[in-house]
Amino acid sequence: MGQAPGAAVRADSVTCHFGKLVALDGVCFAVPAGAVVGLLGPNGAGKTTITDVICGLLAPTAGEVTVFGHEVGRRHLREIRRLIGVVPQETALYDELSARENLHFAATLYGIASPLRRVDELLALVGLATRAGERCDRLSGGMRRRLVIARALVHAPRLLILDEPTLGVDVEARHEIWGHLRALRDGGTTVVLATNYLDEATALCDRVVVLRSGRVVADGTPGDLVSRAGRYVEVDCHPADVQRLAEALYRRRGVRLVEEEPSGVRVHVSGDDGAAEDVVTAAAALAALAGFRTRPPDLAEIFRTLE
Amino acid sequence: MRQHLRVAAGTARLELLRMAGSRALLVLTFFEAVTFLVLVSLFGITGSRAPTALVDQDGGPYARLLASDLAAAHNSFSLRPMDARSAAAALGNGEIAATITIPASFDAEVNAGNTVALPLAVDNVDVDLTDDVQRALPSAIVSFGHQLHLPELRVAVQEQDLLAHDTGYIPYLTVSALTLDALVVAGTLAAVAVARDREARTARVWRTSPASAAAVLAGRLGATGLVSLLALAVTVGCVIAGYGVRVQHPLEMVAASVACIAIFTCVGAWVGAALRRTIAVVPLIFGITLPLYIDSGALEPARFDGEVIWWIAHASPVYYAVGVMEDAFHGLRVTPEPVWLDVAALAGFAVAALTLALVSLRRVEAH
Repeated sequence: MGQAPGAAVRADSVTCHFGKLVALDGVCFAVPAGAVVGLLGPNGAGKTTITDVICGLLAPTAGEVTVFGHEVGRRHLREIRRLIGVVPQETALYDELSARENLHFAATLYGIASPLRRVDELLALVGLATRAGERCDRLSGGMRRRLVIARALVHAPRLLILDEPTLGVDVEARHEIWGHLRALRDGGTTVVLATNYLDEATALCDRVVVLRSGRVVADGTPGDLVSRAGRYVEVDCHPADVQRLAEALYRRRGVRLVEEEPSGVRVHVSGDDGAAEDVVTAAAALAALAGFRTRPPDLAEIFRTLE
Repeated sequence: MRQHLRVAAGTARLELLRMAGSRALLVLTFFEAVTFLVLVSLFGITGSRAPTALVDQDGGPYARLLASDLAAAHNSFSLRPMDARSAAAALGNGEIAATITIPASFDAEVNAGNTVALPLAVDNVDVDLTDDVQRALPSAIVSFGHQLHLPELRVAVQEQDLLAHDTGYIPYLTVSALTLDALVVAGTLAAVAVARDREARTARVWRTSPASAAAVLAGRLGATGLVSLLALAVTVGCVIAGYGVRVQHPLEMVAASVACIAIFTCVGAWVGAALRRTIAVVPLIFGITLPLYIDSGALEPARFDGEVIWWIAHASPVYYAVGVMEDAFHGLRVTPEPVWLDVAALAGFAVAALTLALVSLRRVEAH
C-alpha cells in the first residue's frame, strides 16, 4: 500500500499474533486527515487490536503504523500520544472521583497549562457542567460516555480514536454522542471510529474499513458498502410453493442467495438497479403471493456477503 | 522533568482522593495496623504466662520462701495460689496449665534435712507449655537452696550480660511487629492500588497519554506510602505510649520507619503489577507476610534459630527491617550484619522491586 498523501493514520501490512491466534493479518488502510473513518466488524474482528496498535499500546508482530507521519514505536510514542485522544471501549473512569476530578487528572497527564479552565470548557461542551462534582459511579451510562469523550479531548488532539463509543447506551444518548462527533468532524478533527453498528458508521463516517477475522474485507464509503451488500427481498407465499419458488428465483438475474422459510423465501440480490423488482415480478408470476418486502441487509448479513 | 513531577503529584492527588472516597479502606488500614501489633503482643503474652496453680498445703516460712522463688523463677509462670480442690478442678477444666503442690510436711522435712518431693500435675496438651513449667521448677529450687545455704548445692550461676540493659519479650515483639505492620499495610495498599488500576482498566488513561509510567507509579506509590506511614505512626505511638517502649535512637527510628514503608510499598507495587488482580493480591500478601515475619528474627534474633533458617532469612527484606527497627528502638543488634548493611540490603530490595514493577507495567508496550 502506498503512502497516502495527508494521511493521519496509515496501517501497512499490520500483523499481530497472540500465541497461535492471529488477531490482525496484513491489515492495510489509510485515514485521511480531517476524515471520519469507521472500523467496522463483528466482535473479535480485530478492531480493538488495531486501535491499540495505533495508540502504541501494542507492538505489531509485523508491519507498521504511522500517525501524522510518525512511525508508531518507542521512539515517537510521546509525540504520537500528544496528537491522539482515545475513547476506550470500557469507560475507564475513576468511579470514586467526580467528573471534574477525572478530567483534571487527564489534564495533568497532558501538561495542560490552565487545567481548571480547560476542564470547565470540556464539561460545558459535553453538557455535564451541572454534574461536574458528582461521583462518576452516579452518572448514567450516556453521561459517562460523554465524559470519556471530554477526557479524550482534554489536549485538543488532532486524531480521536473511539472504540465502540455508544456501546450500551440508550438511543437518546447515542444521538447526543453522534452530535458531538459530528461537531468534532466539522472542526477538522480526524476521527477513527471502531463500531459494531452499521447505522453509526453510515451516519458518521466518510469511509468505512470492514474487518473480519483480522483482515480487511472491504474499504470504501458507507454508500459503496451498502450498495455492494445489495438488498434482501422477502416474499410470503403458501408453504407448498416455497421450494418451487426458491428454485425458480435462484436462476434470476442478480440473485446471490435464496433461503427457504416455512411460508416464503428470502432472496439476496446484488445492488444492480432493478434486480429486486425483477425478483418480485417473477415471484408474482410463479405463485400467489401473500406479501413481499425489500430491505437493506443488516450488519451480520453484510459481513456474510463480504466473506 | 517538571512535567514528570507534575504527573507524579497529580497521580498522588488522584490516589489520595480515591482512598478518601473509600473511607472503609482507610479506616480498615489503620485498624489493621493496630490489630497486627495486638496480635503479635498477644502471641507473646499467651506464650510467656502459662497459668499455674500453687497449692501451699504447709504455709510455713520455708514454704512461703519457695513460693516466692517460684514466682520469680521464670517468666513463663503466672502463679495462682489455690486450694487443692480448686486447683484440681481448674486443671480439669483447662483453666490452668499445671499445679505445683507444696506438701503439708514441707517445712518439717526441710528442717530435718530430708529431700522433699514437690508434686507437679501438668496438662500436657501442649508440650511447649509443659516444658516451660518443668524448666522453671529447678531454677526456683536452686534459688531456694541458695537462700537457705543448703550444703549440697555446689553450682551457682554468674550471669554476664552482653548488653547494658535487658529488653522484655513483649517490647521486643512489638518493635518487630512494626515491620510486620509496614509489610502488610504498605504492601497491601500499594499492591491493591497498582492492581486495581489494571483491573478497572483505568491504566489505559495514562498509558495512552504522553506521561511516563515511572512518574505515574511514583505518584501512586507516594500516596499509598504516605497513608501507610500515617498508619505506622499510629502503631508506633501505641508501642511508645501503650507498651511503654523507650526509643533509644529517635532519628534512626523515624528513618527506619520511613525506609520500611518505602521498601514494602515498592514490594507491593511489584506484586500488584505482576498479578494485576486485587482478588489475588490480598491473599498473596497475607500468605507471604507471616512466614517472612516469623523467619526474620521477629521472635528472637534469627541466628538463634539455626544456620538454615538464618540463611533463608537473608532472602527476606523483613529480616533486615527487623534488624534496623530493633536497633533504632532498643539499641539491639539482632543481625550479625551492621545496620548500614541492613539499610543497604533494604534499599537493594526496593530498587529491585520497583524495577520489576516498572518492567511489568511496561511489558505490553514493548516495541
